[in-house]
Amino acid sequence: MAEIRLKNVSKRWHNFVGVNNFDLDIADREFLVLLGPSGCGKTTTMRMIAGLDDISEGEIWLGDRMVNNLEPKDRDISMVFQSYGLYPNMTVYENIRFPLRVRKVPKELHHEKVMQAARMVELVDFLERRPAALSGGQRQRVALGRAIVRQPAAFLMDEPLSNLDAKLRVSTRAQIKNLQHTLKVTTIYVTHDQIEAMTLADRVVVMNRGVIQQVGTPTDIYDNPANTFVASFIGSPAMNLVSGDIENGTFRGPGITIAGLQTNVKGPVTLGFRAEDASLVSEGGEFGAEVYSMELLGEATMASFRIGDQLVSIKSGKEYRAEIGDVVHAAIPASICHLFDTDTGVRIARTPGN
Amino acid sequence: MIVKKRRRPLPLTVLSTTFVLLWVLMAAFPFIWTVWGSFKVEQDFFSRDSWWFAIEGPRTIAQTGSAFTGDGYYGAWVLRDFFSSVVNTIIVTVSVVVISLTFGTLGGYALARSGYRYTFWLLMLALVFRAMPHITLVSGYLLPFFEMNIWGHLPTAIIVLVAINQPFTLWMLHSFFLSIPKDLDESAMVDGCSRFQAFRMVVIPVMWPGVITTGLFSFLLAYNDFAVTAMLLSQPNQTMVPKIASFLGTIQQEGNVMFAVAAVVSATAPLFVLVMFFQRQIVSGLTAGAVKG
Repeated sequence: MAEIRLKNVSKRWHNFVGVNNFDLDIADREFLVLLGPSGCGKTTTMRMIAGLDDISEGEIWLGDRMVNNLEPKDRDISMVFQSYGLYPNMTVYENIRFPLRVRKVPKELHHEKVMQAARMVELVDFLERRPAALSGGQRQRVALGRAIVRQPAAFLMDEPLSNLDAKLRVSTRAQIKNLQHTLKVTTIYVTHDQIEAMTLADRVVVMNRGVIQQVGTPTDIYDNPANTFVASFIGSPAMNLVSGDIENGTFRGPGITIAGLQTNVKGPVTLGFRAEDASLVSEGGEFGAEVYSMELLGEATMASFRIGDQLVSIKSGKEYRAEIGDVVHAAIPASICHLFDTDTGVRIARTPGN
Repeated sequence: MIVKKRRRPLPLTVLSTTFVLLWVLMAAFPFIWTVWGSFKVEQDFFSRDSWWFAIEGPRTIAQTGSAFTGDGYYGAWVLRDFFSSVVNTIIVTVSVVVISLTFGTLGGYALARSGYRYTFWLLMLALVFRAMPHITLVSGYLLPFFEMNIWGHLPTAIIVLVAINQPFTLWMLHSFFLSIPKDLDESAMVDGCSRFQAFRMVVIPVMWPGVITTGLFSFLLAYNDFAVTAMLLSQPNQTMVPKIASFLGTIQQEGNVMFAVAAVVSATAPLFVLVMFFQRQIVSGLTAGAVKG
């Protein structure tokens, strides 16, 4: 098994920067998720690790080998593609066996290894079928089986669940998590779905426009977003962001006044808080506005308000009801608030004592 | 319960059936006429008195005692050694198909997977060369071939035919390779293949319909070619098509024209067998690029 190190890796096409100065150590057996919107460079980063794209700058180390100039086949990794990349002319059995065959694993070991992998991905009943005769979820499991049949130094998964329906996604997600736990192999997983990232990852790397925005555990990223991009990307709904001014620890925005914040900043800032941390109250509170819309989520009720040009959502109990147009107050204590620099979007750290 | 069968209106059925039958008749007629006529003597098949002679063959009966004669075939195959031109044709077509497909698959794959802009211009250039009449190439080749003393040999004709055919095979295979997702080669490479192994073990097996279709077109080009083989091959090395033309050219000798007719039938029959044998692959190959699977 191996740790993976990326040293200042960059990818450029002519003057377009795909990945900019990606610098990260991935520990052995870690489950790392690269998360970001499409076009943020997460897949490119993974393809550079796999050796399918050239590296413009920097070094990639797998264990103690610098792999920049190695062919994909010599890097000892296996990869699951978004579109599965199954061999349509081979049966499921042959598909799973293919890596053993081309890597000249002794023939007598093949059957046992294939069957073991097939059992792990629950495909024993489908071994004689061709990929065309399988459902999407089964095809995805064949791709997984093909990846785990030999013990590679690392797994790379490129949005493996995005072609599956919502229900299957949840069960396959659990299966991937369990497989990684059983096999104890370093895994890099690319996704644009923040729920997948939160549920699967040991550590999440949030990327935007080729640049790492934040690296941390899912809790870290959720509770302490490093900037407004991470704050608005993680969470469902995303963190509420309100522009306003702060002076002497009191934030003032349209319809919102919060006292007791840190006193070390002054001037325009962006204030952020999570919908579920705030609560609706009948009177008082730091915030009051007309309800813009009400959404019933089943386990909760979501009230939205329009503040300036932004939409602010606040979660409430499932019995809560209000009509659109009612004036509602909300408690937003200072302890749940995050402050960000208006220009750069970077988080403003709390000083001790606040 | 009686299920009422939905039927098309009778006049429409009659009309469409008649049309198809008529069309089949018109398309097949020249061939049937030639096959039938190849068993007659020249005075019947090319009779000036009545075209009916070609069907009934009174002079064939008068000359040979039977309504059908194999004289044309005997003349072509035994007297005039049509067999050696059959062998030459086999050598030429097989070589052209094998060489074109080898370079075509490798080149088409490289062009399809290359991200560079020049691939487009290479393909455009190939199209221009493909569009040129063959005879322009051949007339240019003649003098250097004489000077190098390689005129008249089969390999020379094979090289020229491959050169004429290659742009087309490149085009066709290029578009077939484009329809195969890149993920397939990439997962093969991650699974442990080199680029060439991925090509050989994963891409080509998926490509068979395309390779067969392209191979068939290459075969037809080499098989039917007249301009190149007639100009570049010496008499003993002639393939079937220029050989047939030479039968027609010596029209003074009676019966020679019938050698040509018999040879034409002999040359056409294998094509039928071939197309029937490969029809499934050809159809799937022709439509493969059209709709993404």
